[in-house]
Parts: sequence; structure tokens; C-alpha cells
Amino acid sequence: MTPITALLSIMFFPAGITLILSGMLYEWADRKLVARFQNRIGPRWYQPLADTLKLLTKEEIKPHGINSLLFYGLPIVALTGALTAALYSPILGLRPVSSFPGDLIVTLYLLSLLTMCMGLAGWNGSSRFSLIGATRSLTQLFAYEAPFLLALLGPAIVAGTWVIKDISAYAETHWMIFTQPVGFFIALIGLMGKLELPPFDAPEAETEIVAGALTEYSGRGLALFHIGKSVELVVAVSLVTAFYLGGIGNPLLFLFKTLVMVLLMAMLQSMLTRLRIDQTVGMWWRFGALLALFQILILVLLKGWLA
Amino acid sequence: MNISQNYVSQIIERISTWARVNSPWAIHFNSGSCNGCDIEILATLTPRYDVERFGIKLRGSPRHADVLICTGPVTRQARERLLRTYEQMPEPKFVVAVGSCGISGGAFQGCYNVVGHIDEVLPVDAFIPGCPPRPEAIIDGIVKLLVHIQNGTRPAQVITPGVQEAA
Amino acid sequence: MTTETHLQRAGEILAPFVKSTNNPESNRLDVQIAASDLPAAATALTDASWGYLAAITGMDLGVESNELEALYHFCEGAAVTTLRIHLPREGCPEIPSVSDKIPVASFFERELSEMLGITVVGTPDPSRLFLPDDWPPDVYPLRQGFKPEQAAALESAKAPEPDRAGNRFIVPIGPQHPALKEPGHFEFTVDGEIITAARMRLGYVHRGIEKATEQRNWIQNLYLLERICGICSHTHTSAYSQGVEKLAQVEVPQRALAIRELVAGLERIHSHLLWLGVVAHEAGFDTLFMYSWRDRETVMNLLEELTGNRVNYSICSLGGVKYDIGVEQSASIHKALDYLEERIRYYLDIVTTDTAFLQRTRGVGTMTYDEAIHFGALGPTARSSGVTRDVRLDAPYGAYKRFPVSIITDDRGDLEARFVVRMKELLVTCFTIRTIVDNLPSGEIATKFPRKIPAGETVSRVEAPRGEAFYYIKSAGGESPVRLHIRTPSLCNWTSVINKAVGHQLADAPMLIAGMDPCFSCNDRMVTVRKNNVSNTLTWSELREYGIKKYGQRK
Repeated sequence: MTPITALLSIMFFPAGITLILSGMLYEWADRKLVARFQNRIGPRWYQPLADTLKLLTKEEIKPHGINSLLFYGLPIVALTGALTAALYSPILGLRPVSSFPGDLIVTLYLLSLLTMCMGLAGWNGSSRFSLIGATRSLTQLFAYEAPFLLALLGPAIVAGTWVIKDISAYAETHWMIFTQPVGFFIALIGLMGKLELPPFDAPEAETEIVAGALTEYSGRGLALFHIGKSVELVVAVSLVTAFYLGGIGNPLLFLFKTLVMVLLMAMLQSMLTRLRIDQTVGMWWRFGALLALFQILILVLLKGWLA
Repeated sequence: MNISQNYVSQIIERISTWARVNSPWAIHFNSGSCNGCDIEILATLTPRYDVERFGIKLRGSPRHADVLICTGPVTRQARERLLRTYEQMPEPKFVVAVGSCGISGGAFQGCYNVVGHIDEVLPVDAFIPGCPPRPEAIIDGIVKLLVHIQNGTRPAQVITPGVQEAA
Repeated sequence: MTTETHLQRAGEILAPFVKSTNNPESNRLDVQIAASDLPAAATALTDASWGYLAAITGMDLGVESNELEALYHFCEGAAVTTLRIHLPREGCPEIPSVSDKIPVASFFERELSEMLGITVVGTPDPSRLFLPDDWPPDVYPLRQGFKPEQAAALESAKAPEPDRAGNRFIVPIGPQHPALKEPGHFEFTVDGEIITAARMRLGYVHRGIEKATEQRNWIQNLYLLERICGICSHTHTSAYSQGVEKLAQVEVPQRALAIRELVAGLERIHSHLLWLGVVAHEAGFDTLFMYSWRDRETVMNLLEELTGNRVNYSICSLGGVKYDIGVEQSASIHKALDYLEERIRYYLDIVTTDTAFLQRTRGVGTMTYDEAIHFGALGPTARSSGVTRDVRLDAPYGAYKRFPVSIITDDRGDLEARFVVRMKELLVTCFTIRTIVDNLPSGEIATKFPRKIPAGETVSRVEAPRGEAFYYIKSAGGESPVRLHIRTPSLCNWTSVINKAVGHQLADAPMLIAGMDPCFSCNDRMVTVRKNNVSNTLTWSELREYGIKKYGQRK
């Protein structure tokens, strides 16, 4: 791929602007579905775009006495991580822009980078949210992180490769949702946890930012984190869909499948009174992560035995 | 070059105004109200009225909000916190006073612990009269405020929903 | 036991302390005692399980008599025994505390001392309850001769004034003034995760209503008192009207009383549904919040149809009610209740079977029967611990003799029980409303009422959705009351919550507090958490998030 095409694909299509716009589309779909479940009408289709633009034009207030470099830098790093992760993921049902051996691990790391930046931002804040409170935020975020990663490793093991492109190709013929239903379930829940969709809803069931982590941010910083989270949504949903729901294939079909995932997430968000989700996170480390590990173990053994 | 610069800044201005009008995030502050107005404000989020349609989100932190929705006659104890909350909001910001208490002190005019109109403490952009105003009136008032923001004027008169505005 | 026997028994218990007695009304006994005998007298009543301390009223008897008076009202069933203590107006009037035996008295004593300048010796918390931090010392609002100018803020503690330059506001941004600390409604001292001490500071909504009633005439006060609380405004107006009607010795037509009870029932429905939504939001379950408030709109519509307003219905007038209920409205009521009963049953089902909900409520904040009595809990909070305390049953007023309600109790005492009690109460309320609508007594809806009320004092008690609302009204024969004392139920329930919070995790605090159905405004309460002498201030939403996350992690 020539530098020109590389640059174009990073900045405009399918990463870059297109990615950001699809992030907004997914965010809208999520909010609209949740509103519908709550018997409301919900936001207009351009709402996330308006939100982001408004945040970008607001005054940025930097609280006293905190590290400037971190304050301004963390949102940028977070967004960069998310955007870069998109380069290796099959977003919008198109083959990843780029790939190299082991890019699954790098992508997962980049997604975690967003989480870590948010945690650091909370720790850095001066709202007197105590260190313990910020640590709790980080612990909470990572509680969802690990099982999610493990759940994505499962298909990788089965496909016998660490390259996302190849895993997706393998998944085209093997719908792993059926062979590894547990993995899919864990990936779905872990994804929701990472994006703080469940029980942290604001009164209108919107993606409320974790108290403390981003309360100090306004304007540009908040906008960047916001975009980062939408992008993360797209990337993560695309990965899970590609791995479990039959690979890439037809872009339109892929889009449809990702939207089904979003529907599932919206349903779970709204019906959380029915499931013990908030307890699940605590159970998560024991039950979920262990189960994911166990599944991986089985897969490894099976592979070894079959080979 | 100047013309195109002007043109560009005009476009940016228009886009910012559009974004601001379509995404007014609100923070609610009770400065001594009897809760009548507060429950009608909360009711606007519920299915029957659903202000999320207008892009209004209720935020917990003043730093995330554009509009401060304030209820109640300002009691002395609440005054300081009201000011502090307002200070923490980034520009551009707007203040909406909901209810008769915020306009004149309402039934509590003359009470010893009450400052009176919110206008004495903060620059208010929209007053929504009523005791309490219906959720429809609250939505109407906020929408009228948004229209003013869109036109670039900062309202300086009392906006009475349903009644012809003073010129 | 009848009211007379209750009063007799009280007389016997208090015999050693009596300086003089009086029966101002058929259900009341006034006992004058000396200040020094107060703790013994209160203890005697408590030990004999005679009633509970409902309120402490402080009064300034005027410059001529040069005395202050403190009234300690104890209620048992419909009987009210008041211990009356005269104190000198000059100097430093002192009265001993009864909070060690009766914890709820702590709040009342704080109010007494800041409003009238009576020093309560031995009270556990002498800090201000309602008055703001920058209120000058030695200025007591409820003393006669108080002028609002006297209460000008202390110069040193004055908040920075915003500047006006033409049309623009210049809000000074600068360092916080040292005298003004970040105000906290609650102060929790924690050791690790567990709350070891809890304190409360009210005052954000203190508007000085009691004093204001003295400057408004009897009718104007109706409109002022409606706005004490937007959620239970009818409670306040009915308690007030009831009391004034007793003083004026006016008999209110039966039809009016029935309509009052009907509207009170509708208010209860709207209040409990509101509370259900708010608690659901506290726990992070917004779908339930949306659904319950959507259903609540049915009640709001009905109230609007009957009274013309969704909130602050203002249907009570002195001597009756303002609006009648016709055939059309009866039909609407039945239709609305059909829908509501179905929904209430659905919510009752959710709060008893939904596993995620139960995880936040079952076994949390358990208050035993004895604790409920000891802490003076009222309303559904008390009834969910098995205490059969309900003014509608103990001292039926208005039309409750004709249309009684069955009392709902639960003996588990935890948060889940409080949900169950409230939902079941609603079902009972629906039934009662239907009965009233179908059997409205015929007649007038209002009767003539004098402009000047004869001198006298009375106690009026009404069951608000949150518990007993206690009114003490004193008239000197004029057009305004001389003293109006209002004790809202939440003030008593706070004591139980504050004491119960100790020993619980900080993450449980939002649900505990919401569980007693405090008068609202959850979005901007500030909570101070003290840990190892370092205090942090959280906003309510931060505390709520903390609770939600904490439970998310719990095994």
C-alpha cells in the first residue's frame, strides 16, 4: 500500500473521519434503542454529531494544581489508541486497512489504552475524588477488560493465528457463536462493561461517564474522550462480530450483524433489572474470567490433540 | 484572503451555533425550592415528555453542562453553592429559572432566609413562570431559549410560554 | 384503650412532676412541669411505653409575660400529652436534653435552640440545623420582635457579590472564602468502607415559613403552606385546615371531608410512584424510573382533572373544599384506577422478585421493631419494621372514620420491606378511593368560615405519604396565627437513617437514605466523607455512582 493510500485510508476511509462518523452512528443506535425500550422516543439521528461539535466549541477549563501535560495529553492519547486500533479491525465490514502478525494483541492493547487513559485522567483530577476512589474506577474498568480480552483470544486459538484478518477469514466458515457460546456471552458483557453501558446510566439512560474520571473535563478534552469511546464501540463490536458471527463477508450483512449486537446491548442495558448484572461484575472475576480461561484451555488442548 | 477567512469563521460560527442549539446539556440545581418545580423538571425526562428528543441531557457535573436549570427562591445557604456551580460551568452557558420562586420569591417573598429572585444572584436568560410550571411549559421555555441562541440574541425579557412575547 | 384512658394513664405517670394540668381539648392533656423535671418526666413516659415524642414546639410568649415556653408533645393513639415548660426570656434560658433517652429529640432540640435561643444542656449535637452558617449569633427568628434586617449576614462570612456592568454580569472567581466551607448535607465518617458516624445538616430549603405564617392571615397561609413541599402539599393544607377548623369550631360537611381524603389518597399514589422511580434511579435501574413515572402521569392527569393543577392542587379551603366531584370525574377516577392497580401489582411483583433489585434491598438497612420505636420512625419506614403507627388508624381524622384504611405492615424491616409496604399501601389506597367515589356523602362542599379565629391552641395530625405531619397552631383571636409549628415526618425519619447508616458500607448510603423517602432533591445534596481526619466532598451523583459500582463488584 502506497503512502498516499495509507494516509488517505487512515484519515478518511475507512478509518479517520468515516470511523468517527460510524462511531456516532453506533452511539445513536444504542441511545435510540435504549430510549425505545424505556418507552420513549429518543434522540435524533444527528444528535451524537451535535454533541461532539458542541463539546469541541466549549471553553476548556483546566482545574488548578493538576498535571497539565497529563490533562491535555490523555484525551489525545486515548483517541489515538482507539483510532489506531481501528486500522487492524474489520470495521464497516471491510477488510482491515493493515495487518501484521500478532496484530490482535496490539489491537487489544490499544483498546485497553483508552481505558487506562480514562483511569489516569480520573486519578489526575483535582475534584478531591480520593485516590481510593480513582483506584476503584480503574479496578472497575479492568474487571471488564480481562474477560473481554480472553473472550477474543478464544477464537484466535481455534483459528490458529494471531492475525485479525486471518481470524476473520477463518470465522467466515465457522460461526463461533455456536461453538463457543460462552465466549460470545462473555465478550458481549465485557464489551458493555468496558463502555460503561450497564448500570451506570444517567437519568435518560445515556452513556454516563464514570463519576470522577471525567468530571474535571470540559470542552475539547471531553469531546476527544467521547469520540474515543464511540470509536471503541465500533472497533470492539466489529471485532466481536467478525470473530463470533461469521467473519467479514458482505459489508452490508456485516453492518447488519453489528447493529444486531448493538440491539442486544441496548436490550441488556434496559432490562438489567432482570439479570444480576451488577453482581456479575464481582462474579466476573471468578466466574467469567475463569470460564473464559477454562474455555481457552479446552481449545488449546483440543487443538493439540487434534493436530 | 480576508474574505475567505471571514467566510471560514462565519461557517464555523454557524456550525457552533447549530451544535449548541441542538445539544444543550443541562444541570439542575435546587436552591431552596419546595420540589414542585423539580419534579416537573424530572418529569420532562420521562416517556410522556422525553426531552432527549431535543438533545437535552441531564448531567451530574457542572463542567459538562451548558444550561443551568435553577429552581426555588435562593435561600442563604444555597446561594454560595449556586454561585460556585455557575462558576464551574464552561462558556458559553445559560441560566434558566424555573418557577415563580425564581422570578420573584413566589410565595416566600419576604421570608427571612430567602434572597428572592435568582436574577439577583446570576444572570438569568429565561424565566419560566408557574407554580410549578407544567413540563410542557418548561420544554416550551427552553425551546424559546434555544431559538434565541440560534438567532444570536441573548433574551432580556420574561418569556411567558403561550403568551405573545413582548417585542 | 380509649383516648380518655390514655390521658388518664398519662396523668398518673406524670403525677410526681405535675405543677398544674389542663385539658384544652378532649384528646389533649397539658401538664406544666419544671425544666429540671423534664428528663425524668420524659423518661417516665418512655419507660411506661406511653406514646412517642412527636414534636417539640418552642414559643415566645411575649415581652409582657417575659417568658418562653417549650412544649414537648407525646402522642399515644389519638391522645396527645404535652409537657409545658416555662423559661425566662432574658439571660440564657436553659433546658435539659432528653436525647439520650429519645434520639429523635436531637433534631428538635437543635431547632429549639437556634430558633428561640434556648440552650439545651447535654444535647449531643448543638450545631445549627436549619439556619445558614452565616447567620449572626444571638439572633433568634422565632422571638417576637425579630426583624429580618437583624439577620444580615456577618460581614466576614459574606459570599462574594456578583457585579453588574450594564447588562453584563461579572461573577468573581477567586479563592474560596475561609469562613465558608464546602457545605455538606450529610457527613459520614468512615473507617475503610464502613460508616462509623453520621451527621446531618439541613437548611438548604429553610425558607422561614413558620415565621412567615405570623405575617399572613389565615387564608393566605393556606397558599403558603401548600408550598412547603410540592410532593405532599395536600397533606399540609389538610392538616392546617383541620386545625384551624377545630379552633374556629366549624363543622366541615362530610362531603368535603370525603373529597379531602380522596385527594389525599391520590397524593399518596403519586408520591409513592415518584419515590419508586427515584429509588430505582438511585440503584441504577433507569428503566424502572421511566416506567413508574410514565404511570404516574395517569395520577397527575386525574389530579389535574379534579383540581386544575398537577402539583399544588390547593383543593382545601378553610371550611371545606373548592371543587366537587361529579359523575364524569367519578368515571375518570375509576378508569384511571383500573390502569393504576394493574401497574402497581406489576411493580409489587418487581420489587419482590427481581434479583438485581433484591440484591440492593434485601437485608439492607434492617431496622428491628425496637429500633424503630427507639428512633421514633414514622410512616412506611416504621410500618415496615412492624410498628403499627399510622395516624389514620390511631387518630382517625376527617372522613377516615367513615372510610377507614387497613394498615399495612411488614416485619422484616429491611429496604425490601419498605418497598413492599409502600406498594401494598397503594393497593389499599386505590380500594379506598373507589369506595369513596362510589359512596360520596351528599351535601355541601364548604361552609361559612369566620375571618377571625377565636383564641386557643390546637394540635392537628395527618398521615402524609412519608409519615405523620404534626401541626401546632395557636391563635390569639386575630386574623393571623400567633404561632404555627410544623413538624414534617422526614425530620423524624432522618434520625433512624443516620443511626442505621452506622455500621453499613458507604455504598449502601444512597439506598438507605432513599429508602426512607426523604423529601427529594437528590441531585444536589452534598455528602462529606471523613476518613482519618481527611474529608472529601462528594456530590450526590458521585455517591450514587459509588454505590452502584461497589455493588457491581460485590461477590
